[in-house]
Amino acid sequence: MKNWYKILSVLLILYTIFLGLLGSVPRLDILNETIRNLYYHVPIWFAMLFMMSVSIWYAIKYLLSSNAVHEVKSFTAAKVGFFLSIPGIITGCLWAKFTWGTYWTFQDPKLNGVAIGILIYMAYFILRSSITDELKRARISAVYNIFAYVMLIVFIMILPRLTDSLHPGNGGNPAFGKYDLDNNMRLVFYPAIIGWICFSWWIFNVKNRIAQLNLKLNDQ
Amino acid sequence: MNLNQISTLIKKEFLLEFRQKASLGGILVYVAATVFISALSFKGQIHTHEWNALFWVILLFASVTISSKSFLKETKGLGLFNYVYYSARTFIMAKIIFNMVLMLIISLITLFFYIWFIGGNIQNFSLFFITLALSSTGFAGVLSLMSAIASKANNNFALMSILSFPVLMPMVMISIRLSRQAIDGLSWSVSYDFLLILAALNVLVIMLANLLFPYLWND
Amino acid sequence: MINKIYFIAFLFAALVTNAQEATQPQMADGMRAEGKIYVVVAVMAVIFLCVAAYLFRIDKKLKKLEDDLKNNTSTSSVTDKEKKK
Repeated sequence: MKNWYKILSVLLILYTIFLGLLGSVPRLDILNETIRNLYYHVPIWFAMLFMMSVSIWYAIKYLLSSNAVHEVKSFTAAKVGFFLSIPGIITGCLWAKFTWGTYWTFQDPKLNGVAIGILIYMAYFILRSSITDELKRARISAVYNIFAYVMLIVFIMILPRLTDSLHPGNGGNPAFGKYDLDNNMRLVFYPAIIGWICFSWWIFNVKNRIAQLNLKLNDQ
Repeated sequence: MNLNQISTLIKKEFLLEFRQKASLGGILVYVAATVFISALSFKGQIHTHEWNALFWVILLFASVTISSKSFLKETKGLGLFNYVYYSARTFIMAKIIFNMVLMLIISLITLFFYIWFIGGNIQNFSLFFITLALSSTGFAGVLSLMSAIASKANNNFALMSILSFPVLMPMVMISIRLSRQAIDGLSWSVSYDFLLILAALNVLVIMLANLLFPYLWND
Repeated sequence: MINKIYFIAFLFAALVTNAQEATQPQMADGMRAEGKIYVVVAVMAVIFLCVAAYLFRIDKKLKKLEDDLKNNTSTSSVTDKEKKK
């Protein structure tokens, strides 16, 4: 059964829609009912990070093998990751408006990390579109992709040391560990992550097959 | 990688740089003009934190300008000779070291102009100097690779800054933090952590540049 | 009669939410008590199912296209070989 993960993703996300809204959550000040956004906002970021890692994986594979198929996969994964960052950022902004009072703040390292990540991906797409020679384009954008990804990971790792975070778990805020201990929430949160990662892989799979068909047609 | 070859390459770079007085002088004028404009627009009323941020922004743009032309010369006949004669790693190491020295010199000149025109009171100057040295090493590592990439893509200055600004961000953030601590004159023990992170970041960047540059070189 | 039952239910829900407001952070308890939350869940589920079904259809069509292309290339290569013969 090749399509198991597609069905699994649909079932898991449906499950999170039902239990995420109907299940019981801890009653907390400020967060109130918005705590349920944890089931939708955070898994999308996980899926985006997963897609970025897939993109890097194929970029490395391309540099080692010089097979154009891998480079197309890497580019497609970057596009899917970039697409996922849009719902991620909008749900985050809405949540921030409700709990912190603003849509966007530069005080928070996670938000800054996300902004830099989006800038890096935009730079990657611009770089790719500015080179016309196909072989050259594949090689150069793969190199930039790998370098930028490493710097992004470094940025996300060191930034919390530089500034306090408004996100739970950093800088004196109540940690998510507190809610994670709530077994009801864990029961929805973990399936949500798996569901969204599978869903992003499905989108990646479809987009990649279209891109591979295009590649084949161009070769003929 | 060959140390002798690296040193000859660096010597050649410096020779070329000093022979072409226009390019080096251009950067000096650029830095002086930028600092002068900032001095005029702030009219002496500037707090230490803004002083610091402005200094790093000027330095960032100057660094990108310096390094953006470091692969310009390699696109023509000379590049072919280098390609045959030197290995990719030797070449990128020479570029990084050359850029590092150049950026350190330019950043000191910028600092000199900056203090002269705008004024400033750095309490812990040795920490400030170490921060400058470490950050110019890291900037050189990142920007050498980025200018190699930009030179393959039609050598566009806008592209160069688009590519390098987000990637430079972690270093800039740490450098700004460190230099702020130097200006405020905090004790060394506060800064050790950040100095260590910056040094580790430099090692990482130079290793990555060494690892990735051969793939750009061999096409 | 039904109206009365609704009224009592509403009163009860309002009472419950009021009692909780005094001691605990405010939640959308009224929405739950009235059952309107099921509408939200149903709407979200329907939207998501539509998107998923659409993706499934695209997947199917793509599969067909891939198969077509594979058959085409194999047949064309066969004809090429025949021509060479």
